[in-house]
Amino acid sequence: MMASEPKPRYEMVNVQMGYVMVEHDLFSRSVRSYFSAEEIPPREEYREGNRMWRSAVAGQSFHFDVRDNSTGEIIRFPELLGLLYYGSCKPESDIYRIGQIAHDANVSIYVAITYETGEGTRVPLSDSKLGILNKVFNDRLQRKEKKVLILPDLFDLHRTISYGEIMIDVGLTSMEEGG
Amino acid sequence: MKLQEIAEKLDLKRATKAFDREVSGVYISDMVSDVIANAKAGNLLVTVQIHNNVIAAANLVDICGIVVTQGKQPTEDVVKMAEKAEITIYTTALNRWQVATKLYEAGIR
Repeated sequence: MMASEPKPRYEMVNVQMGYVMVEHDLFSRSVRSYFSAEEIPPREEYREGNRMWRSAVAGQSFHFDVRDNSTGEIIRFPELLGLLYYGSCKPESDIYRIGQIAHDANVSIYVAITYETGEGTRVPLSDSKLGILNKVFNDRLQRKEKKVLILPDLFDLHRTISYGEIMIDVGLTSMEEGG
Repeated sequence: MKLQEIAEKLDLKRATKAFDREVSGVYISDMVSDVIANAKAGNLLVTVQIHNNVIAAANLVDICGIVVTQGKQPTEDVVKMAEKAEITIYTTALNRWQVATKLYEAGIR
């Protein structure tokens, strides 16, 4: 029998597949995004106060919690829309240049993108949660010389990127299979 | 079993430089979110999807190699990104089920 590996301090738990939904208000042109765990992504228009929300993007994704195995505490990440890899950004961007430098030190840079509130802001992700997120993914690595560094969106990348650049499955709402 | 040995047994074509690593298991998926959520470090990813985000996800969870099925070919950008991440991409005309069967026959459990 193989010896079991020690449990990492933090572990991804309660993984729930669903959809990242992005909606536009037809009147104010505000944008908001949220996670839906429904089996079929909600695409119908609906009124909410003086706003009329229309679905713009539905990308398959997942939500998860993190368990602190030292205390049993469950830390939720409802604000996290997805991660963006520096290599998916424009080569002339600051994040790409930083990513290249970090890569030479065996560090892979990702940026945590959070949900839009509909009021022109993003849901904040605290530094302590970001630290936990970094620990979760680094603890999963097999190659000891390799590191992952997940940064907050200090570069306002959410203003310039498309949802297809974030690591969610935009446009992939059904699976195909040939015989 | 090492990647290169598996590639030889399944007659896979290499699309990137070789970064031979021990394979800890196999994960079959076409969704980057599923790979991030469920794949394990050292897994060989079998997929029909081959775009930047597949490499980004594979790098994040330390996938050891990728087998792209159904004759799909990675673009030059994807090849460069995979080589940077030291992830070997192989291609095959087989579909995912056929690859899974051959991996099992090769002794990967």
